Parts: sequence; structure tokens; C-alpha cells
Amino acid sequence: MDFFSFLVIQSLNALSQASILFFIASGLTLIFGIMRIVNFAHGALYMLGAYIGYTVAIYTGSFFLALIIAPILVACFGIVFEKLLLSPLYKRQDGGAYLMVTFGLAVILAEAIKLTWGADPKGVQIPEMLRGIVIVFDFPFPKYRVFLIIIGVLMALSVWLFLEKTRIGLLVRAVSQNPQMVNALGTNVVFIRNLVFAIGCGLAGMGGVLAAPMVTAFLGMGSSVIIDAFVIVIIGGMGSFLGSIIGSLLVAFVLVFGAYYVPDLALAIIYLLMLIILIVRPGGLLGKEE
Amino acid sequence: MNFDLSNKKGLTRRKVLVGGAATMSVLAAPAYLRKATAATPIKIGIPTVITGGYAVLGSHVMRTAKLVEKMRNASGGVLGRPIEFIYKDTKGEPADCVRKCQELVERDDCRIFTGVVVSSEARAIMPKLEEWDAFFISHGNGDGRLTAEFYVDNFFRANTSAPMGARALALYLKDAEQKNFYAIGSDYAWGHSSVESFEAQITKVGKNISGTVFAPVGNKDYSTYITKILQSGAEGCYVALQGDEGRAFYSQAQQYGLSDRVQMVTEIVSQANIRALGNDSVGLVGGSRYPFTYENEANKNFLSAFQAEYDGEIPDWTDGEMYQALDILFKAMENADSDETKKIVAAMEGLEVDSVKGKTLMRECDHQGENQGFVVRVSDMGGSEPVPEILKIYPREMITPDCRSTSYSS
Repeated sequence: MDFFSFLVIQSLNALSQASILFFIASGLTLIFGIMRIVNFAHGALYMLGAYIGYTVAIYTGSFFLALIIAPILVACFGIVFEKLLLSPLYKRQDGGAYLMVTFGLAVILAEAIKLTWGADPKGVQIPEMLRGIVIVFDFPFPKYRVFLIIIGVLMALSVWLFLEKTRIGLLVRAVSQNPQMVNALGTNVVFIRNLVFAIGCGLAGMGGVLAAPMVTAFLGMGSSVIIDAFVIVIIGGMGSFLGSIIGSLLVAFVLVFGAYYVPDLALAIIYLLMLIILIVRPGGLLGKEE
Repeated sequence: MNFDLSNKKGLTRRKVLVGGAATMSVLAAPAYLRKATAATPIKIGIPTVITGGYAVLGSHVMRTAKLVEKMRNASGGVLGRPIEFIYKDTKGEPADCVRKCQELVERDDCRIFTGVVVSSEARAIMPKLEEWDAFFISHGNGDGRLTAEFYVDNFFRANTSAPMGARALALYLKDAEQKNFYAIGSDYAWGHSSVESFEAQITKVGKNISGTVFAPVGNKDYSTYITKILQSGAEGCYVALQGDEGRAFYSQAQQYGLSDRVQMVTEIVSQANIRALGNDSVGLVGGSRYPFTYENEANKNFLSAFQAEYDGEIPDWTDGEMYQALDILFKAMENADSDETKKIVAAMEGLEVDSVKGKTLMRECDHQGENQGFVVRVSDMGGSEPVPEILKIYPREMITPDCRSTSYSS
């Protein structure tokens, strides 16, 4: 394998990894951007998506149906959680209270998943049409990873178009900048917040379904991914959707090339990258310093 | 001083009768009291992983402990006393494990431990055993050094260690067609121990190691590592990844077609992984610390009790090893006629037990259990899930390393 082929293969590996990271990081950053809530339960919602996806795939026999139903159910769960437990805290303007509540939800969700599905991991099979490999420069590359790259790009584009080109997207951006003003102009800010929270949770749920065939659904899958997600959000800028895309790509490329050249330091390099960015741009690449 | 025996407050016939009855009761009591003393439970601490990345292994430890508790207590307990397991969550963290064991000693007056999941946790508590006057028998800690350079008197290992698993595989692969092997391990004590042992032993049987790599604990994407393995041109790949990491690796290796190009071999074949991976696991060759398909009387009894208790589920390697460790512990206690640490240690040295894996000898020189070595292949035998089919069984003398060592002189 020559160097160019190697670069292409490693870049494809990184893009497929970035796709999974994007789903969880973008939801996290959207929720923070609009609601100023650091959602510690986001990893648990990703895990919930994987388990619901497993159940739907088992009962319907369709992975694609799982990819639609699981995010919707996770989004619905997010709406109920936001209405019942987060909205009473809005008046307090206390970031610490959000942290405690979302952290509590993460713990409760993990235990509830254990009680519902048991402690053993659950395997999710890839549909037949996505099984197998394509050959890139004489090198095998899984069809499923090609699918991951495509669905990641499509979702990123869809959410970006929604935020930039629709009226609701305009309101979402307005709420992120000045919710009082938007409220005074007659827009239902509560609805906007609820909608964004649901979208963020749905994205995490979809990430969980997509990750399950690669890592299986297992207890603890949320806690390991949430750290990567926070790193991405900090690198990209808290609340910046585009920042979450760039952050996902950066982290994935550093992980993939780092694991190849300096496997012992691959994880440390990410945190080093985060530190450098925080020193140069304390608000992250596309975030605002507050 | 004047005594009025007629006084009602003094000694009366009624009082004599009551006193007599009370005395008779006391005289008759020893049997009852003995029963009360005998009924004082023997406490066994299970500082295991209840939450966190290794919770699956911890759940297997606990389910087998619960089954054993039920079985033993139904048949009169140990030393005529019931056994009681006390579970503590260590989260797989060495510092938490030390703290939980300290709690067991100080709060629960419990000085017998087993069920510790992670080797680094075992390593952390071993130096404290003497101070606590506690006894610890490993059911599954693989790091070879625990019975070598880290040896302490109060620690025994009933299970097959990482060097023993690697040894069995190396012996099996001696006659295999593959010449070059790549090794990937998890970047912690067991992963390093396992890969190093495999490397030493596979080169000894005339094969080559094309490269080794250690993935960080908790790693989920193995694309880069798979690329490296494919680039290396190796015909075989030794995998020392457990639990979540192992499943992620095998799933992704299958997706890249790595399993079609390279013979995957692993130190531990786990039923939980097989179940989650389904047919993707078929063809995997590996060592097995406990193949449930092994046929002997002890395993037959365990298997039927386990499946009756857990709706026909297949026991995993942790279940079998936990059952074996508890069986050995109880035999030693019965031989010692005591639950005191020093007496158990003395009774366990040189103890031989017909275990679920055949005859196991707890050798005196380093407290390592000499177990047979199993090599299995995951096969679809037409059941509800693929199962490990035993390919070869190696005698324990060939599998167990030199005394207080992780290597083999022959």
C-alpha cells in the first residue's frame, strides 16, 4: 500500500468515526446553545437509542426501521424529561441544578436499562445490503462505514439547512441569542426549547443505533462516548453547530492517525489539542467567549 | 444478719421449681446454643464490578455466587454454618476496591474475599491482606505476575492465568499453517501480560510475531488497528481484548473482512461475546478458561443447577471459574475445619479438587492453581447460539508456568 492509498483509507476510517461522534456532539451543542444546559444525560440517551434500536430491530427485523423509530422514541423521552424535570428549573437560572438533574438522569437511565435489558451486551446485526466490503486501492473498506459517512453528511446538511434556511431555524438561532426579546415578540420560546431538546436527544439516539452494530449495545457505552462529545463541543465552541462538525472531524482524524503513529499517546493528543485550542481561542474554534 | 426462710420474698418451693426448670433449660441449652453458634454465617466478601465497563463480568460473578449460596445453604452450609456473600461495587477501580475491602474488614468483620474482576484491583489489595489478616482467592484475575513477582502468602489463584491461556494457544498453533502473527491487546495489566506471554511462547514454537499494538482501555473504533494488521501481512492475529473492547474489535474485524483473511485467535472465548456477535463469532479459535462443553461429573452437576436456576442460560467462563474458586475455597475450609485465614492458607496449599475443569491442584510454591488448558473453536452446533467446541485439552503440567514465574523453562 503506497502512502496516498494509506491516506485515503485512513481518511475514510476517520470520516466514519467522525459521523458517529457528530451525532452525539451536535445534539449536545444544540441543547447547550439554546438552553445553556450541559446535558450530562446525553451519553445515557445515546445508550438508550442503541437498546431501543436493538429491540425494534429484533421485533421488526429491520435495522432501517430501528433507525427511524428509536430516535423518535428517544426524542419523545427527551420532551417528557425536559417538561417534567428541567423546565421547573429555568426560573432559577442555576447551571449547577441542571448539572445535578441531568447527571441524576444519566445514573437512573443506566440502571433502568440494566433492569429492562439485563447486564449482557446486545448485538445488532447489519442489514444484508450493508454487509460486505468495497475495495479501495486494493484495501477492504466496510460498506457499513460508507453508509455511516453518507448518513452523517446527510444529517449534518439537513440540520444545517433546518437552522439556516427555515423560519423555525431562524427562531432557534434568535432564541439562542436573546430569548427574552424573542418571547416579547410573541414567539413561544418554551416550544422552541422543547423542540431543540427533542432534536438533540433524537440525534443522540440515532448515534446510538448507528454505533450498535460496531460496538454492540452495552451498559457503559454512554459514559465512554460522552467524554469525547464534550471534548468535541469544547474544541468546536459551546453552542456552535458548525463547530461540532469541525470538532468531530478533528477528533476523529487525530484519533485515527494518532492510533497509527503513536498508539500510546492517541488519547493524550486529543486533550492536548483541546488545551491548545482553549489557550488560543478560549471559546472554541467557532464559539463565543463569554 | 437474719434470714427469714418463710418470707414470701425468700426461697419458696415455687421459686425452687422455677429455678430448677431454668437450670434444666440451661443444661438442655447447649444443643440449641451450639446451633445458634453454628448458625453464625461465614461471611465472604465479593468486591466486584456492579457498575461500569466490566459490569457484565461482575454480574456473572454475582449470579454464580447467589446460586452457590443457595445450593450450599440448602445442603447444610460450610462447617455446619450458612454462608453469606457480601457484595460491594468497586467499579473496576483499584482504589475503590481497596476501600471496599477495608470496609468489609472493618464494618462487616469479613476476611475472605473473592470475585474481584480486574487484575489491577487484585494487585492493589494483595499487599494489604496480611495487615487485614484476610484471605483472597482469585476466580478470574489473569495477570501472570500475581503469582510470580507480586506473590503474597494470603493470595491464591484458582483460575487459568493469562500466560497459561497463551501457552495453550501457542501449543495448539505450533502445528497450524499460519507462520506470522500480529498481536493486539488492551493497554492494561492483563492485556500486556497476555500479549507478552503469547509473544514469548509462539516464537518458542517457531512462529513469528509481525507486530504488537495496545489499544487504550475503553477504545471503541478499531479501524486503525485493523488497517495495521492488514498491512502487516500476518496470517494470524492474537487478540487480548475483553468485554466491550473485544466485541467492538470482532464486530469491526468481521465488517472489514479481516476474519476471512486472518485466523483470529484469542486468549479467552466468552459466551457473552459469542451471544452478542452471533454468527460473526463463528470460526474464532481461542483458549477457554472454562468451556461449558467439557464433560465430567462436577461440570455436569454445575451445568444442570445453573441452567435450572437461570432459565436454560449457558454459563460463561466467569461463572465456571467463580464456581470452581468457591468450590476450592469451601474444600480448604472444610479440611482446615476453620474459617481463619492462616488455617485456610495451610489447608489450601497442595489441595487437589475435582473441579468443573477437571482435576485442579493448588500448588504450594506460588499458590497458582494448576488447570488443564483448553483450546476451542466457536461453532454453530445448531443450538440457539454458537458455542465453543473443544479442539484440544492440554495437561495441567504443560500449561502451568514455572514456579513464581510467568515463563516456561521447557
